Amino acid sequence: MDMDLIQQIRDKARNLLEKGTVEGVIGYERAGDGLTSRPLFAYDPSATERLIFDETCAHNLVKYLLDKKGKKMAVVVKPCDSRAINLLLNEKQIERDKVFIIGVGCPGMVETNWNHKSETLQAKCRSCQLSKPLVYDFLAGREVERQAEEETYSDITETEAESVATRREFWLEQFGRCIRCYACRQVCPGCYCPVCFAERLEPLWVGIRIAPEENDLWHTIRAFHLAGRCIGCNECERVCPVDIPLSLLNRKLEKDVKELFAFEAGLDPEEQPPFATFKKEEMLEFGG
Amino acid sequence: MNLFASKDDLIRWLDSLLQEYIVIAPVRVQEQTMFQPISKVEEVIFDFDNTTLSPKGWFLPPTETLFSVQRDDGQVELVPTLVEHDAVIFGLHPCDAKGIALMDGPFLQEPGDTLYRERRSRTALVGLACRQVQPECFCTSMGSAPDDPSNVDILLTEVEDGYIVQAVTEKGKALLPKGLAEYKGKMHPPPKLQAVPTKEVISAMRELFDDPYWEQLADRCLHCNICAYVCPTCYCFDMRDYTDKGKVERVRSWESCQSPGFSLTAGGYDPRTTKGERLRQRFYHKFLYFPEQFQDVACVGCGRCVRDCPVNIDIREVISNLQQVTEAKSGS
Amino acid sequence: MSVEYQPKVIGFLCNWCSYAGADMAGTSRMGYPQNIRIIRVPCSGRVDPLFVVKCFQRGADGVLVSGCHPGDCHYTEGNYHTRRRFTLLREFLDYLGIAKERLRVEWVSASEGRRFAELLSDFTAELARLGPRSKI
Repeated sequence: MDMDLIQQIRDKARNLLEKGTVEGVIGYERAGDGLTSRPLFAYDPSATERLIFDETCAHNLVKYLLDKKGKKMAVVVKPCDSRAINLLLNEKQIERDKVFIIGVGCPGMVETNWNHKSETLQAKCRSCQLSKPLVYDFLAGREVERQAEEETYSDITETEAESVATRREFWLEQFGRCIRCYACRQVCPGCYCPVCFAERLEPLWVGIRIAPEENDLWHTIRAFHLAGRCIGCNECERVCPVDIPLSLLNRKLEKDVKELFAFEAGLDPEEQPPFATFKKEEMLEFGG
Repeated sequence: MNLFASKDDLIRWLDSLLQEYIVIAPVRVQEQTMFQPISKVEEVIFDFDNTTLSPKGWFLPPTETLFSVQRDDGQVELVPTLVEHDAVIFGLHPCDAKGIALMDGPFLQEPGDTLYRERRSRTALVGLACRQVQPECFCTSMGSAPDDPSNVDILLTEVEDGYIVQAVTEKGKALLPKGLAEYKGKMHPPPKLQAVPTKEVISAMRELFDDPYWEQLADRCLHCNICAYVCPTCYCFDMRDYTDKGKVERVRSWESCQSPGFSLTAGGYDPRTTKGERLRQRFYHKFLYFPEQFQDVACVGCGRCVRDCPVNIDIREVISNLQQVTEAKSGS
Repeated sequence: MSVEYQPKVIGFLCNWCSYAGADMAGTSRMGYPQNIRIIRVPCSGRVDPLFVVKCFQRGADGVLVSGCHPGDCHYTEGNYHTRRRFTLLREFLDYLGIAKERLRVEWVSASEGRRFAELLSDFTAELARLGPRSKI
């Protein structure tokens, strides 16, 4: 662990709490297994001694800001998480002056499970080129030069190359395992509707039946609701208890949105999202 | 008397069971191990830590149609769901078997849940004792043990070249294959587990309902339902009628007290709107309300919630924290 | 004896252009396939991708979304949004195993009764060739 970086985070957090600049600090602490990490909410300056930052800190803490609306909070943010901040600023879900962003440069997160830490970088980190968060109030440590692979979306193009029937079978098998715990939705910073479409009874879109066709509808529409909004933190896939490859859905839409509309979510809090706007002279193959 | 079966004996036995029963056993599904009905004995995994989901889904399926009502031309026909087959659940660990026994409390008390009762009486449980335990296991603190035979019909324990076979109930005895010899070898002690001190947890619960501990703990909770769904003893469900042309189906599916809106009533009132209130409910159900009704805590120490919680809310930590908080309060 | 497969088509037609166009096809007695069930919406931009996916889940073999020609939308810009949304959805559904040919996005004006009839015949024939979408 980079103790210098960690000390900077701790000092800043303590300072913010002592001065009363923020009501709480959301960061990471060591999990109960002594190996991985978990979110920490520090309200007292003494609690900041538990803050850490290392390659097991994959959680996207930005989601928690939505639970703390109205309170000024500090949050520890990696470059991918900062895209979530931009998304929520863009969609007017958080106010910039109500959040103090403690940014960290990130060397990439490794795959972890309870009591297990691997040496393998998470897939989303392999092509990340961000050396520091896109937005922050304080940068702990230094920018981190990333040795990123080029983003080729090869996992997506491989799936695209299969036949429609093969894909159908594949997705039904994957969705057949879904138990509709909604962990993917709960962890996602982009999923914050007061009443999710899946909870609606009038009209009933998804309902309570846990079956491949219902699960299919759930995942299709959730992914589509995030088209042009998903910032690629991949938390959904990480938390899924039955290992559904959700990144294959979100990244497909990410790729298509990039190609069709030259847009990437979470880079600029002021930019118009692709479905809130249009160009008159586009997609002329569809008429006009 | 303990009998002995070689691996081959076991496979032959499973094959014969497959002819007459639905056999539900641990199988490999991608990278995970799940309880599923098998069609071939080769599918069975004998060596696994613990399955992703507990086998409670056989008795309380994630989704099921309780009955359907067909309406044509003024005629109304009620079509109940019937339990078609006898079944054997093979290879469940003692913790999961205890989970099923705990669910018997609410589901079998009068008037009883018809489908659950039917499945329960027509399903035999063949347990598999644990030779190894995981860091998240704590069954011995929850009234069970890696070799606990109390809640199964037959208990298998792996030894050098096969399995010790112990018939626990009459149903188990009747199910056993013929011709197994007596086991005359050594009995190995079960693996040791770390203890979770639970002596005062129920009284701690009584005192700490309004304590700020719950809101603080819930800060990081995502209310994702994972803990309740992987748990062998969580059994909350939702019911809904689906109408499609002339047919009405009453469907029951898993739900959990962690879901926002789980306790929302028709008038719009929700007694558990905050994260802390929802999180608190799960622990209170397990360590106060259920024991008050059924004289046993609703936790079997399988550790799945510990393993799968994305933010490491650890039930063992909660149990010891509660006792610490009450000790601090009482100044002892 | 097999019954010839008749694809089920759901059509979302915008009130001002496409629905009027379909109406014109009817009043002018231009025959068009009876496989379609039409749902009238104020604008093609009203059509939520959720409706389309739900149609497929409930057994539709094909879905048609039809609105005014871009530039002529009764609400000025609704169909520009339709265009973006459904271009992406078509691709995505194909990726999920629902052939892209099953979702058609067309622009039919109020005077294009013949065009409506023709495109529907074409769509139905194509769906018949593709075969039924399986229940799931």
